[in-house]
Amino acid sequence: MAGEAVTRALTPAKSAFDQTGQMMILTAKTIISAVRPPYPYGEELVWQFLFVLKLAWFPLLVSTFAICLGAPGLQAAGALSLFGALDRLGGFFVLAAIRQIGPVVTAVVVAGIAGTAITADLGARKIREELDALQVLGVDPIKNLVVPRFLALMVVTGLLDIFAVVFGLTAGITTELLYKQPLGGFFATLFANASTTDLWGSVLMCTLFGAIIAIVCSYKGMTASGGAAGVGRAVNQAVVIAFVGVFFFNYVFTAVLLATHPELQTIR
Amino acid sequence: MNGVGRPLIGWLDVPRGWLDAFGEVARFGSRVAGLVYSGRVLKFFGEALRQAGILILGSAIVIWVFSFILGLQCGILGAYFFRAQGAPAYAGLFSAWCDLREVLPYAFGYILSAKVGTGIVAELGAMRISDEIDALEVMGIEPVTFLAATRLLAAWMAFPFMYLVGIGVMYFASYLTVVNQVGDVSSGGYLLIFWMFQNPPDLIFSLIKGMVMATAIVMVGCYYGYTASGGPVGVGTATAQSMVVNIVLVHIIGMLGTVVFWGANPRAPIGG
Repeated sequence: MAGEAVTRALTPAKSAFDQTGQMMILTAKTIISAVRPPYPYGEELVWQFLFVLKLAWFPLLVSTFAICLGAPGLQAAGALSLFGALDRLGGFFVLAAIRQIGPVVTAVVVAGIAGTAITADLGARKIREELDALQVLGVDPIKNLVVPRFLALMVVTGLLDIFAVVFGLTAGITTELLYKQPLGGFFATLFANASTTDLWGSVLMCTLFGAIIAIVCSYKGMTASGGAAGVGRAVNQAVVIAFVGVFFFNYVFTAVLLATHPELQTIR
Repeated sequence: MNGVGRPLIGWLDVPRGWLDAFGEVARFGSRVAGLVYSGRVLKFFGEALRQAGILILGSAIVIWVFSFILGLQCGILGAYFFRAQGAPAYAGLFSAWCDLREVLPYAFGYILSAKVGTGIVAELGAMRISDEIDALEVMGIEPVTFLAATRLLAAWMAFPFMYLVGIGVMYFASYLTVVNQVGDVSSGGYLLIFWMFQNPPDLIFSLIKGMVMATAIVMVGCYYGYTASGGPVGVGTATAQSMVVNIVLVHIIGMLGTVVFWGANPRAPIGG
């Protein structure tokens, strides 16, 4: 009786470990089949890249602007205006917009838009047994479907991060203008504090976020089962797992980056 | 494989789609809210309780785990930021504002749109595809009341409490990173600053932000699920579309909340 209860309590944990392992295997398979010739996925890669870019640019613009105007913009400006040091907002925006909000919001938007689309697409193909048909035809689904999505999502999230940082900084400038401040102080502290390591860290982190999203969403799509409800459920689970994975990775990456690069910790 | 038969997507399709959807979602959402306010949903109070149970069992752990991770994040950023300023004792200021005012509402919105919003679309969409919603109508049960209004009522019953527990989880995580991981400030010193820079109205404002997000997400989810069409692919597409709308709504509500509640008055115990 007690043993049964323990087994039942541990089932979710077991299945979580199981799925994490499966995703790791899929990652390895994807990387291997990406580098091993032949390379039939070029066209699909370009299509996926443009697909994500066309769908994500506008939501990302609105999202980064909104979150940067609210969280680091108005909140920090409120505190800084009490000290009469609103020019310091530029230095804070390096920490907030470049190091954190840029990559995180990009990942959230890409997971919400491209990740869900990938799972819905692959899930529908799985339900209609198209993936099995491809295998029968001798077409490797990983090489032809997962690899282009994986590579395209990595590249596109990395590039969209720059876009997000630009609009985050625009929100910072808007905040300064709302407080009727000259922009010289903002740019002075911004450029005094921004370093190449910050930007590379941000872009690298975001690229890896793209990889996490692509793998989780492809895996969930390719293992969807149970008809129409199954595809919806797969999308639901994929986006939750992608979010938790991204944010957990974000914590680990930021902790390591800050601990190993002490020069990032000085505010000039 | 060669791009034949693919839908053509333009650069402006997303904003155009929002303009289309926004009015429909608003109309559907106000209808659902009206059903809840007028008390007609109480006919199905049992179903609302069941939905609240599903929300608690299915989403609470995820929301709290997510809050925990983001609390760690707020703590570590605040600790390093104030160490760099030469005032490590003030890490509590950053975590208090980061946790309560900004990040928890966003975290709550993200997880809700991912877990609850898409879940509702998947569930209602599957019902719509398999003609179950029409069957409800034939049986004389109003589908909007039974399916959408009960879910909104369940959300209003369950989420405030989950949100408050999430705040506690997040505070604990920030405390762990600032005091135990980075360790520049003592426990007492951290807590002094931490509690000095927040007060009960802040908590209420944060809760309002979170609940407005929750309401919007449930309404969007119900709308996209209720109007899904086109077989299994249609359910997947509707789920993906609802996610796009939700993510942006969460950010816009978060920004408006900050502007309204803290934009004119930072509510900090500094100066006059």
